[in-house]
Amino acid sequence: MRLDLQGKSFGSRAVLGPLSLTVGRGERLAVLGPSGIGKSTLLRILAGLDSDYRGRLQGGDRLAVVFQEPVLLPWRDAVGNITLPTGCDAAVARDWMAQVGLAGHEDKFPRQLSLGQQRRLALARAFAAGPDILLMDEPFASLDEDTRARMLALTGALLDRSGAGLVLVTHDPAEAQALAARPLHLSGSPARLQND
Amino acid sequence: MRLGRPSRALLPGLLSVAAMLLVWTVASQLTDRPQTLPAPWHVAARIAGLAASGELWLNAGMTLFRVAASFALAMVVGMGLGLWMGRSRAADDWLNPGLIILLNVPALVVIVLCYIWIGLNETAAILAVALNKIPVVTVMIREGTRALRPDLDDMARAFRMAPLPRLRHVVLPQLAPQIAASARAGISLIWKIVLVVEFLGRSNGVGFKIHLLFSSFDVTGVLAWALAFVAVMLAIDLFLLRPLESRANRWRQDAA
Repeated sequence: MRLDLQGKSFGSRAVLGPLSLTVGRGERLAVLGPSGIGKSTLLRILAGLDSDYRGRLQGGDRLAVVFQEPVLLPWRDAVGNITLPTGCDAAVARDWMAQVGLAGHEDKFPRQLSLGQQRRLALARAFAAGPDILLMDEPFASLDEDTRARMLALTGALLDRSGAGLVLVTHDPAEAQALAARPLHLSGSPARLQND
Repeated sequence: MRLGRPSRALLPGLLSVAAMLLVWTVASQLTDRPQTLPAPWHVAARIAGLAASGELWLNAGMTLFRVAASFALAMVVGMGLGLWMGRSRAADDWLNPGLIILLNVPALVVIVLCYIWIGLNETAAILAVALNKIPVVTVMIREGTRALRPDLDDMARAFRMAPLPRLRHVVLPQLAPQIAASARAGISLIWKIVLVVEFLGRSNGVGFKIHLLFSSFDVTGVLAWALAFVAVMLAIDLFLLRPLESRANRWRQDAA
């Protein structure tokens, strides 16, 4: 997948300047920078959620997104939350739930799960989509230290196993390091990417 | 605790119905012209007679069919328009004036015009009723659509969900409260309009029967038909709409 961005603005305010970014299966990138710099905007462009920009996005890779919040369907049980968005069958969904340590919670509704469990369910959903590249937007923010460490280890293990690429958006360089992702810094106004 | 609730709610309800019956009975005995206000048992006897002769079922069935057809038409069209207007600013800007006009045209005018333009037939009757109800459904669904959660929308788009599953599993569940409210409010409004439509231009149904009884000032008959049909509509609300509503809301109730 390759993005050649000339610029992105909200109204008259230029948020992102010219930048280009390439990522494929097995490659891991982390986009770092302070909050409000445009990291999430960049991820939304990559995910195809925002097409109002100047530039070009190429590549037919299968994508899956892990959002800042779990974003689950409250009216569906855990298995339904994986099968409905991804189109995988229930057996695959159960298998991914087991891999993120949610075996036994298949019939629960999201509100019956803790926040940590909801995030793991969102992670299982993303992997169940069989992505070539996983896009993650601050997925470890607002988690306590222990849960964060376990989520990081789990994400790393699942990435290894599935061979998927990663674009991680975060403000914390330690997260990039933990996932062995190549850090790219987003800075300036309008923001550009800087290699370390 | 949830088991106890219906029975506790049932008692005051039954008592208030009994009180109304008592007031009716006393009033009917005080008046010296039984034709204007017959006693409850006269009305009950008439209902029993109508039920035994089969006349009740035929006409109530026709009325029920018109209620169901126009209800379905109004819900489908109203939900389609509401979703469209809630999602698209342009659609809202263009359609809103028409909506406001239709909301304020008296039901009687719509009915009369439908009969004149389309003819005294079933299509005109059902369309006239649906046209009266569509704007109300549209407005409620539009408000609900404006409040749809953008994060779920993003999620559905990011996972490339197809339009139909997205509508069914992401959008409609969020609109369930508006759909249930407009269905509830709709069904009672619709059956009242159906009676007017039948009164004016049909040759069967509860409204037609009331038309005949009106020309002979038969109050017992009018009350018998009205109460019998109210009972039918209450049964539908109790045994069809309420269970559906509570099933749709199941996920809200059972917290850990």
